[in-house]
Amino acid sequence: MGQLLAVQDLAKRYGATVALGGVTMGIRAGEVHAILGENGAGKSTLVKILSGVVQPNDGTMLLDGAPHTPASIFAARGAGVSTAFQELSLIPHLSVAENLLLPKVSRGRFWPERRASIMQRAAAILAEWEITDIAPDAMIEDLPLAQRQRIEITRALSHATRLLVLDEPTAALPDTSWLFRQIRRLTERGVAVMYISHRLSEVREICQRATILRNGASIETVDLAGVDDAGIFAMMVGHAPAAPRSETETATGDILLETRDLHVGAIKGLNLTLRAGEIVGVAALEGQGQQDLFQALGGVRKRASGDIIVGGRSAPLGTPGKAQRTAPGIAFVPEERKADGIFDNLTAATNIVMADFASRSTGAFVNARLERNRAAKSAERVALSPRYLGFEVGNLSGGNQQKVLLARALMTGAKILILFDPARGVDVGTKQSIYAMMDDFVANGGTILFYSSELTELVQLSTRCVVLYNGQVSAEVSRADMTEERLLAAAHGPARTPPTPLREAS
Amino acid sequence: MSDQTAIPLEDTRKAQRISPTVVTVATIYGIVALMIVASRLVSPSFGGLSQLETILYLSSFLVFCAFGQGLVILVRGLDLSIASVITVGGVLSAALMDGSNAGLFYVIPAILLACALIGVVNGIGVTVFNVPPFIMTMAVGIIVYSLCLGFTGGTPRGFPAPVLNDFMGSRFIGIPAPVWLLIAFAAMGTLVQSFSPFGRKLTAVGNNPEAAYVAGLPSRRLTVSVYAISAACAGFTGILLASYANGATLRMGDDYLLPSIAAVVVGGSSILGGKGTFLGTVGGAMLLTTLATILSALGIGQGWKTIMEGAVILLALILLRDTVFDSLRAVLVRKD
Repeated sequence: MGQLLAVQDLAKRYGATVALGGVTMGIRAGEVHAILGENGAGKSTLVKILSGVVQPNDGTMLLDGAPHTPASIFAARGAGVSTAFQELSLIPHLSVAENLLLPKVSRGRFWPERRASIMQRAAAILAEWEITDIAPDAMIEDLPLAQRQRIEITRALSHATRLLVLDEPTAALPDTSWLFRQIRRLTERGVAVMYISHRLSEVREICQRATILRNGASIETVDLAGVDDAGIFAMMVGHAPAAPRSETETATGDILLETRDLHVGAIKGLNLTLRAGEIVGVAALEGQGQQDLFQALGGVRKRASGDIIVGGRSAPLGTPGKAQRTAPGIAFVPEERKADGIFDNLTAATNIVMADFASRSTGAFVNARLERNRAAKSAERVALSPRYLGFEVGNLSGGNQQKVLLARALMTGAKILILFDPARGVDVGTKQSIYAMMDDFVANGGTILFYSSELTELVQLSTRCVVLYNGQVSAEVSRADMTEERLLAAAHGPARTPPTPLREAS
Repeated sequence: MSDQTAIPLEDTRKAQRISPTVVTVATIYGIVALMIVASRLVSPSFGGLSQLETILYLSSFLVFCAFGQGLVILVRGLDLSIASVITVGGVLSAALMDGSNAGLFYVIPAILLACALIGVVNGIGVTVFNVPPFIMTMAVGIIVYSLCLGFTGGTPRGFPAPVLNDFMGSRFIGIPAPVWLLIAFAAMGTLVQSFSPFGRKLTAVGNNPEAAYVAGLPSRRLTVSVYAISAACAGFTGILLASYANGATLRMGDDYLLPSIAAVVVGGSSILGGKGTFLGTVGGAMLLTTLATILSALGIGQGWKTIMEGAVILLALILLRDTVFDSLRAVLVRKD
């Protein structure tokens, strides 16, 4: 197979900062090629350049031997390169069909095309890529994150004639089988796929070769069959990763939080107990009510009925502020880091100290240095380097943004942490820091409820694991018999239901 | 390990040394200084310290009401009621003081409190009933204006306390009293907006309201208090304007509504909220006042004057955008 894409010494600077400083690599026709690297290694910049969002300062790209210099996303698409972005690029107030067909929804030259005909064309695209559970006239904003991600991917699939770029395509997908089937269909036609993911097991399953990026430069391109995980981590971080963490004992501490017959959103009659010293994992396929549960416990969403008991007393938790001020304190880290978490043009220090501003009187005046000093201790607990404290959070990598949010949660002094997918889409190093912080937190008498879309993470961290199905607890798995297979089986509901790759629309 | 972002340490440190805020504010004051010096071409009596004094004096009224406007804009709002509230401040001080110095110390707080209450109504409409700030404050402004009209029967009566009128004309250490007031106000406003937990919380609410709520900030209470502060500032402006002119008129606030918004935005704040400094706003107010003074001295007709003011505001907004400052910073950094 010949070289489809040849990248030579590609570089991109933003003002004084260097995002990409010399990437050289090649992708063959019909191959699935992984790009591996920590957050901030330059993966997103590479994607942006390939897809025409930004233009490089230096270097060349050849596509089928011809220079590839797209000035826009549509120019790249015209050359046969289409991209599914990590930060989904769908328009929330438009329908699935319109999003799939943009920029030219209507085919009519003088008269707008009939809606039925537009829907039909969109339905054909959905059918072609085996999406059966999403209607073409559904509004994007009404869809859960996983379905939105599938639409984003489908749009890219439908335009990819030479190269498909997938940036963290499985970040919100509970299951990879659909995606991998489509990728294989595409590669059979000779289309190449650039696959960016933090999940090494996935990469090994679907990709043949990988290029490792570090600090904006390409380190090496390897055959995945010829290198082990430790070797890849070593290339990504420049040294071997930390040893796996030690086992946690079963907790017998005080009950800090309890729900009794809780009804909220899709949650129907949930009983849950969180004890000091334990990390309780929540496993569920997408859309089983986990968002509702976490938002209710964080005070973001009002419960319909049932009791939430915090520190032995019934707590209504009307707002996140009230949740923080309950006796042992509840701190919530939401799913959508950008939308609900960070203040992107405030500094990291201000973002962290905001917890103090929200919960207690903090003296009359503050300045940048004071805030840095105050934030330093929490930042240290999540291994956030102090030199980032003075930076605007919007300029930090996703992993560091997540650390900032966790540091803020710690700053509240709460004993109960409610974390929704705290390590989603962050690099290996950040993951280790987050895990270490969680262990440390419960060792000091706290309790954590966390949801993760990655089963490995649940198995690795949880003292025990609660599996949600259809708004109820379908199983509780103790540390002793916790395996990924066991969790996955329970997540698919009672045994009589055969596990299906795609969830039926509810 | 994970700390190795794509941003090399050296570069960012250099870039960090000059904060964008400092560059923005310095540029605005630089432009004001240039305009004052250049105005010597218009009239030989211009361009000196005495003109600077006049400009500071005249811009003080705008600065007082622009502080509140700036805070409202910081939380993604807009206060269109301030023209009417300035009138309320003026009309009430003329009517209640009625030319006597007695009772000054409870009349002024009473007027400010009444105005703040108007702001609370604005804030409640915006936060509890989710009325867009634009509509809410405009409606309240119209209602309040009509109340003034009914209360005065069309012609405001009375005079503010003579002490206040004297104050507006007096000097301390050779500088007019209102200019001292302006300096004190600028210092206090800067402390509140940029160096207090309150200001940080407002910036957070304006930057990302959802995140502010999730972080546990009392967004509603903060927003209501901001509208109350804005109205109180407008009332304060009204009292001083009435004292300056020794009487009130029903249209006395009209000249301050749009300039108060323009001063905030020209001063480098984002009209979309979440970003801004009060020192920038003060600079913006001085810029607008200087421009108005120069245009008046040129003897240009009112129509052309307004057109040129509009054009300069537009030009300032286009030129004072982040991208321009960023490239300016990049040049400065490279020279290091």
